[in-house]
Amino acid sequence: MRVPLLNLQNRSKLKEEKDFYVGWQKGMSKSNSSFLKKFLIPFFICIPLVVFAFVYFQKPFNNFKFDFGNITTITGTYYDSPTPMIIADKGSLADSLSHDIVLVGYGKFGARGIINTIEKTNGTLNGKRVELAGTLIYGDGKTCMELTEKEASLKKVLASPSSNPPVNLAKKDISLSGEILDPKCYFGAMKPAEGKIHKSCAIRCISGGIPPIFRTKSNNSNQYYILLGKAGQAINKEVLPYVAEHISITGKTNKFSNWDVLYVNVDDIKIK
Amino acid sequence: MSESYTSILWSKQKRKYDMVLWAGILLLIISFVAFQMLLHPDITPQTLLIRATALTAIVLLHVVLVIGPLCRIDKRFLPLLYNRRHLGVSMFLIALIHSGLCIMMFHVMGDTNPIVSIFTSNEHYNSISKFPFQILGFFSIIILFLMAATSHDFWLKNLGPRVWKGLHMSVYLAYAMIILHIALGTLQYESHPIYWTFLVLGFVLVAGLHIYAGIKETKKLKGDRNRLQENGFFEAGSIHDIDEKCATTVNFKGENIAIFKYDGKVSAVHNVCKHQMGPLGEGMIIDGCITCPWHGYQYYPENGQSPPPFTEKVKTYEVKVVKDIIWVNPNPNDEGTFVEPAKSK
Repeated sequence: MRVPLLNLQNRSKLKEEKDFYVGWQKGMSKSNSSFLKKFLIPFFICIPLVVFAFVYFQKPFNNFKFDFGNITTITGTYYDSPTPMIIADKGSLADSLSHDIVLVGYGKFGARGIINTIEKTNGTLNGKRVELAGTLIYGDGKTCMELTEKEASLKKVLASPSSNPPVNLAKKDISLSGEILDPKCYFGAMKPAEGKIHKSCAIRCISGGIPPIFRTKSNNSNQYYILLGKAGQAINKEVLPYVAEHISITGKTNKFSNWDVLYVNVDDIKIK
Repeated sequence: MSESYTSILWSKQKRKYDMVLWAGILLLIISFVAFQMLLHPDITPQTLLIRATALTAIVLLHVVLVIGPLCRIDKRFLPLLYNRRHLGVSMFLIALIHSGLCIMMFHVMGDTNPIVSIFTSNEHYNSISKFPFQILGFFSIIILFLMAATSHDFWLKNLGPRVWKGLHMSVYLAYAMIILHIALGTLQYESHPIYWTFLVLGFVLVAGLHIYAGIKETKKLKGDRNRLQENGFFEAGSIHDIDEKCATTVNFKGENIAIFKYDGKVSAVHNVCKHQMGPLGEGMIIDGCITCPWHGYQYYPENGQSPPPFTEKVKTYEVKVVKDIIWVNPNPNDEGTFVEPAKSK
C-alpha cells in the first residue's frame, strides 16, 4: 500500500510493534524508512535549489580590493592634512590606481597615531618625501593604504626638499545627500561595507580615527568627499550618530590633489 | 537509555542520523560556496563564511522546530526526534561560527571592547527599522549555548525534567529573536522580496505546524471534560478503540493519563515520561514495558516502574472495564505503586 507523504486528516495508527520506532533498537521498520525517505529525498533535492535562489538574488559585490597579505612599498610625498595621506610618485604605483593615497592604521584605527609615533623619532613628515610600506586598498578610482607594519611602515625619509600641498584653497558652497562611510572597509576590506548591515563596523572604524568619507550617488557613479569640520579639524566622534544613515549635508568643498574635501558644521547634518 | 553517564551513547541509529544530518549540512554549505563563487566571485571569504553559516544555521533551526509537531501529527516522524539533540548542537556550533565571525569582523581590533561595542556602536534602541539587530543575535546565541551545553542527560538528571524542559523551551524565544535579527539586519540591505518570502514561509511553517498539533490536543481535552463519571471513576472510552499494546490518553481533573491495552489487560499510568516529559500514551508496549516514543525509556504498565537497574517511576491509576467500557480513577497512586490490571476480555 502506498503511504501518503503527510496525511493530516487520518493520523496513522501503528498497529504492528515492528512499526514502532525506538532509537536504541537496531533499526526502523521498512515502512517507516520508506516514509521518511519520501520526505528527506525531496528535502535534500530542495537544498541546492533554495541555496541557488538565495545566492542569485543577492545584491552584487563590487570589485574593490584589499590586497591582503601583500605589502607594497611606495615612494611619495606625505601630507598631514586634510587627513594623513601620501601622494605617490609616478612609477611608484600601478598607473591604473589613484596615486592620492589615504593612509589608515591597522585594525579599526586611523593612521594618525602611527604617524605621531614615527614623528617622535623622525621629526615632522608633513610635505616630505618618504618611502612607506603597507597593504593597498582600492576601488572606484580611490586608493587607501593600511600601515600594516605600524611604526615600521616608514622605510625611509628621503632627503629631497619639502613641497607645498596640492590644495585648491577656493571653497564652494554645496548641499549634498548621501552616506558617511569608513574608507578602509568600503574600498575593499569588507563587502558589503555600507548601510545598516555594516553600521557598527563603520562606527568602530571612524571612532578609531579612520577618516569619515561622505559618498553621494548620481546615476551609476559615486562621488567621495573627505569629511572635516568647518575649520578643517577631524570630526570623527561628532559624526558617529550619522554614520551609515541616509543624510543631507550643507558645507563648503575644495580639492586636495584629486580628493574632494567637504567642510561641514555637524549641526548642519540632517538624517533623512 | 543508560543507567550511567556516557558522553554519547552511540548506536547504529545515531550514527546513521548524524551521517544524514551532516550530509545535509555539507550539501548546503558546499552548494552555497559553489554558487557564490560562480555568481559573485568578488565576495570576500569572510562574507562568504558569515552568510554560509547564517543560512545553514537558520535552516537547521527550522528543522529542529518542526520535528516536534510533526511527530505529534504523525508518529512516522519519530526517528527524526530520537537524536534531535545532535541536530540542535550542530545548529548551535554553526551559529557560533557565524557569531564569532561577525564579532571578529565588525567589532574586534577597534577602540572599544568588542562585547561592549555590540551594545553601543548602534544606539537606536527607540527605533524599529534602525534597531541594533546584532544584540538580538547575541542574546540568541547565549540561549542556544545554554541549550547545547545542557543537552546531555547529565544536566537533565541534575536540573530535573521541569527546569530542563523550561530552559529548552526558550528555543522559541531564541527563534523569535533570530527572526527579528534577520528582518532588522540583513533584510534591511538585501531587500529582494524573495528573502522576505523565505523568512515568512519559514515562520508560517513553524507556527502553522505547532498550531495544528495544538488544536488536535485541545480538541481531545475538550472531549474529555464531557465524559461520564461514577464513584470517582471517569468513562475513558471503549476497549475496542485501543489497538493492542497501544494506549489512549485522557485528561481528568488535571491528570494526564495514558491507558494501555495489552495481553488481555488494561493499565493506566501518568502520561508524562520522567526523561524529557515525552507522551507515554503515544508509545507502545515492547517486551512487556510501556516504551516512550521519544527516547525509548521504559516502564512496567502495572506499577509504572522502569525495569531494573533503571529507577524512574511514574504515577499509576485504578482502572476497570465494565461492558467493554474503560473507567479510570484520576486520583493518582504514588509513583511506582502496583495496581492490578483490569481484564479487557
